[in-house]
Amino acid sequence: MASITLDNVEKAYGSFVGVRDMNLSIADEEFLVLLGPSGCGKTTTMRMIAGLEQPTKGEIVIGGEAVSGVDARDRDVAMVFQGYALYPNMSVYENIRFPLRMRGVPKEKQDALIRRAAEMVELGALLDRKPGALSGGQRQRAALARAVVREPQVFLMDEPLSNLDAKLRASMRVQIKHLQRQLRITTVYVTHDQIEAMTLADRIVIMDKGAIQQVGTPDEIYSNPANTFVAGFIGSPPMNLIPGEAADGRFRAPGIDAPAPAALRGKVTLGIRPEDCHLAEGGELSGNVYGVEPTGEATYLTVAAGAHKVEVKAARDFRAALDTPVVIGFDRARIYYFDTATGERIRMQG
Amino acid sequence: MASVRKSRGESLVVRYLILGAWAVVCLAPILWFLSIGFRPRTEIITPRPIFWPTWSLDAWRALWADWPVASFLRNSVVAVAGSVVIDLALAIPAAYSLSRYQYRGREDIGFYILSTRMMAPAIVAIPIFFLFKGMGLLDTVWALMLIYAAMNLSFVTWIIRSYMLDIPKELEDAARTDGAGDITILREIIVPACLPGIITAAVIAAIFATNEFLFTLLIASTSNAYTMSVGLANFTGGSDGIIYNAIALVSFLAFAPIFVLVVLIQKHLSRGLTMGAVKG
Repeated sequence: MASITLDNVEKAYGSFVGVRDMNLSIADEEFLVLLGPSGCGKTTTMRMIAGLEQPTKGEIVIGGEAVSGVDARDRDVAMVFQGYALYPNMSVYENIRFPLRMRGVPKEKQDALIRRAAEMVELGALLDRKPGALSGGQRQRAALARAVVREPQVFLMDEPLSNLDAKLRASMRVQIKHLQRQLRITTVYVTHDQIEAMTLADRIVIMDKGAIQQVGTPDEIYSNPANTFVAGFIGSPPMNLIPGEAADGRFRAPGIDAPAPAALRGKVTLGIRPEDCHLAEGGELSGNVYGVEPTGEATYLTVAAGAHKVEVKAARDFRAALDTPVVIGFDRARIYYFDTATGERIRMQG
Repeated sequence: MASVRKSRGESLVVRYLILGAWAVVCLAPILWFLSIGFRPRTEIITPRPIFWPTWSLDAWRALWADWPVASFLRNSVVAVAGSVVIDLALAIPAAYSLSRYQYRGREDIGFYILSTRMMAPAIVAIPIFFLFKGMGLLDTVWALMLIYAAMNLSFVTWIIRSYMLDIPKELEDAARTDGAGDITILREIIVPACLPGIITAAVIAAIFATNEFLFTLLIASTSNAYTMSVGLANFTGGSDGIIYNAIALVSFLAFAPIFVLVVLIQKHLSRGLTMGAVKG
């Protein structure tokens, strides 16, 4: 069990900077998710914590000990990989035993630990199989068992569910969260799937282009995005971002006229989530129906207003023909404004 | 449906016919050799074919009684097996280094290793003779072992390297975070995962070494170091003329160990052991 601190960590490959100026504190027993698109530096950050890559600058501290220059095998971390990385020549039992052997756990203690780890992931009956004879979900559970068996200080999970189908992913997600709570081990989890991030995390770190965009609880990230990147990345469908002009307490863009703080001027971007929009007479937006997508629990309506398309979450039985004129109202308490030039959130009273 | 099944059955018959014909083409010379070996000398060279020969073990008995075939065979096995062991001991670490570590000149070193195969062996024949003379190793199996090993080392390294390149890096990362060092990773993860490649390389090296003639002729001068390939040449000339049935038997004896070896390990000669390591 350990806390992790990243202090001004940077990773450069020649002139390309993969991770820049990373400062992050991960509390003991915390479940932290690194979330971002491909190439944002989240996996590199995790690999630096694991010791598989060395930072070009900065310091990483695990459990109060600076680990620069400490080899991966001497850091007490366990990692689960996207491709499972089970040793193909060894049975599931031998795979789970491998880290125990490497760390010199006495032989007489090994068997009980292996069986306990296998039971935790419901793999007890398959210990004699080779990885090649397992399904994808079973392989991932074997990889999890190999990680939990020696109860490391830190769990690192690199997109462990991305090779599984949707249904299996949902059930494995619950299992991972349960395991983490049960074992109370500090966990860093990398994913590009925002649902995984929202459901698993105590805190989410959103990354883009090698830098942290925002750190916060899932609720904070969702209801208080720091910039347009975070606003557009979290939520399904994501927040509507509409660039326009603000002047005299109004925000205007083609088809849109919304109230804005009196002090707000110039080029700004309005952000509103689909679930904070509703069909209403005298609303802020008028446009025509562009598309209707029923999902069962709700109907998503795309409205074309000028050059922009705005997504609206409508009632589940809402139906409309294309090009029908509609008026949409915004929940005024949930309108966000961002600086169009920098993408940063504009926070002001009024 | 019925016609589809029928035409499938027919195409299967055609396939087996073609494969059977090819098997006969491949196996016929071997069977013919055997039949020559077990016929009396008088029945081997005749103007007309003999369809029902008399079988005789004379040549077989004479072979073991009059010729040092046992030492030829022993020399072959020792020199070939020793050379393959030396090759693997050197090539596996070299291939691991060439496929995994990043260092300046890695590609050049890899190409240099391969380039040693590019010249005609005859060019180095004389220097090698003097080299081994200087070491006092002429007419010994140790010299042959070293020469075969040197001859095959480059391609053994390259074959193993290409298999190692296919092993996912994640496996090593996993082993490292599990607490394994470089040597353990090589021994417990990499070597088992590329075992089919190692076996393939070893078998090819064994075949090349078994068939080697030029350097063996140069180094060996008595039955002290004669191998099957050079020993075979002794059965021509001399007062008895060309002893065809003995030649046939010795050829078969030279070929048999490799044949048995390949049959025994053929399932490893195909790829596929890494299946299931990473997403399938």
